[in-house]
Amino acid sequence: MGHLIANAWLRGLVHGALLITVLMTAVAWISWFERKFAARVQSRLGPTMVGPAGLLQPIADAFKMFQKEDIIPRGADSLLFRLAPPLTLFLSLATAAVLPIMPGMLASDLDIGVLYALAFSGLLAFPIWVAGWSSANKYALLGGMRMVAQGISYEIPMVLCALVPVVVTGSLSLSEIVKYQAAHHWLVFWPPGIGVIAFVLFFTTALAESNRIPFDIPEAESELVAGPTTEYTAIRFGLFASAEYAHSVVSCALASALFLGGWDGPVLPPSVWMLLKTAALFVIVTWVRWSLLRLRSDQLMALCWKYLVPVSLALVLGAGAWVYVVG
Amino acid sequence: MTAGGEALFAFCALVAVLSALGTVIVHSPIRAAMSLLAHIIALSGLFLLLHAQLLAALQMLVYAGAVVVLFVFVIMMIGPSVPEPPVLRGMVTKTAAIAIMVVLTAILAFSLMPVHMPDIALGPCLPGEGAECDQFGGVGAFSQSLFLDGLVPFELISVLLTVAIVGAIAVARGRSREEVAASQHKRDAQAKAAAEQGAREQAMAAEVSAHGGHG
Amino acid sequence: MLSTYLPALLMLVVATVFAVGIFTLTSVLGTKHMTPEKAIPYESGSESDGANQIRLSVKFYLTAILFVVFDIEAVFLYPWASIFRQLGWFGLVEMFAFIGSLAITLLYAWKKGALEWEK
Repeated sequence: MGHLIANAWLRGLVHGALLITVLMTAVAWISWFERKFAARVQSRLGPTMVGPAGLLQPIADAFKMFQKEDIIPRGADSLLFRLAPPLTLFLSLATAAVLPIMPGMLASDLDIGVLYALAFSGLLAFPIWVAGWSSANKYALLGGMRMVAQGISYEIPMVLCALVPVVVTGSLSLSEIVKYQAAHHWLVFWPPGIGVIAFVLFFTTALAESNRIPFDIPEAESELVAGPTTEYTAIRFGLFASAEYAHSVVSCALASALFLGGWDGPVLPPSVWMLLKTAALFVIVTWVRWSLLRLRSDQLMALCWKYLVPVSLALVLGAGAWVYVVG
Repeated sequence: MTAGGEALFAFCALVAVLSALGTVIVHSPIRAAMSLLAHIIALSGLFLLLHAQLLAALQMLVYAGAVVVLFVFVIMMIGPSVPEPPVLRGMVTKTAAIAIMVVLTAILAFSLMPVHMPDIALGPCLPGEGAECDQFGGVGAFSQSLFLDGLVPFELISVLLTVAIVGAIAVARGRSREEVAASQHKRDAQAKAAAEQGAREQAMAAEVSAHGGHG
Repeated sequence: MLSTYLPALLMLVVATVFAVGIFTLTSVLGTKHMTPEKAIPYESGSESDGANQIRLSVKFYLTAILFVVFDIEAVFLYPWASIFRQLGWFGLVEMFAFIGSLAITLLYAWKKGALEWEK
């Protein structure tokens, strides 16, 4: 396999620990970045008190979360209520196992890596729905239902758009797809036109899958308080928040591996390129969040089923025909 | 069979059995659905151990990701806390159920006895097993048999899926506004006709009673 | 070959340990002053009778069945994409037929109004 760490057991443990550390640290300071960014957009300052430029704010937040009281509401299904938050985080982290960070540096070089990532991120709607249902709260339940309906709808175009790189490269392994891009073209440019549309659609559906504006109707704060997480307090709430960020980041990394050449790039070391691309995509996610409005449920469903699904079907066929004609 | 593979097999099998039991025993329909989800995920772990990695991924995507969602939505549509139907099962039914279960299990066990247990391993294929083991369950082998040998069933699946959609829409959609209007119109016309008929009958009856009695 | 899966599985174990660790930590550090009022579900101040009585619209069911159908379709496309080079033009034609018939399904659902969320 040509991996830096030969022993599979050791590699699993090291990668697991490393990835979780990196992701959770990233998530903490991404929350700082997002608050600063939002503040700039709205002509405010954002966090300034804790540490220089408020940089220590995430640590303070984490400590606050740990000290808060853990409340399980009356009438809740306490078993499912407790299970939901760790499962959410678990699934967002599990998706990361197949991400190629640099050549020979990924936890598992699966020959069905793309399917693995999509399968785990597709399951993510479940624990959030369970959170909504088990809370014995109507807001939470409605949020959960919207969440699942949106999640499953947008999974279709997402899976189809992720298929375009597979069609072009003929491989389901993420590391093979990145290697192809390093050797030939980045798939955002190739096949011309089809690649860039597939990338934009994939990115859009990734926004919807991780409930980011403009697709955050499940937790629309002006009508559903906090959606499925309304009844959650303390670290359970914190886990939902960090899982959402983690999922966002992993989706960005997946998009850059599938379309933007992953670790491929000049001068800088490969892992830096991977991080830079992921970070750039995340900046766009944040930018979109603070610029756009929320879509209504019916607009959301119409956008998905009437536009994204047919277009992504056409993209797959187009990419297939392209491979036959051009090679 | 490696130690890791064996441990994983034991874990997945245990989870599969327990969650399957949970699915039928638990009272809350939602908990049962979640138990089913756990069962499906454990099964995909077992597929993985049998070298069928593509099947494992498909199991996760289609069954865990899609079919359980469908179940959950149906539960939510009916209402998750349906009052329990009165238990009508007496001793006879229970005994019969247990007997059937024992017989079925025995048949299954006996039919599986001569089957050679496939190698359960997370490790690489043994030298003796060769290319066939490497190929089995991988994307390549799966696609070969699906798109070359099983082409007709594969194309028929698309028809089956279409039928599923047509059926679901017919069941779920109810009637369109025009159809509702049309049937409403028809019902109105019928009611009107019935009312006219009634009035006519009344008038006739009144007439009969006015003139009647004389024979 | 399958040793490639071991690290991914171990990662799942590490993720579980991480999640469990966080909860142990919070159960040690967290405040504990429970009162009955705190346990009341928050529904903007009105008395909640729980969420168990809600029955959801059939729309959700329709969305789910559409999802199941198209998910199965997409899943079939993946093995196809990995070998369609070897199948030649024939492979492309069979996939056009497959996707074509599902496109008709989508069109049918559209015409029947199954894609409208609110009516």
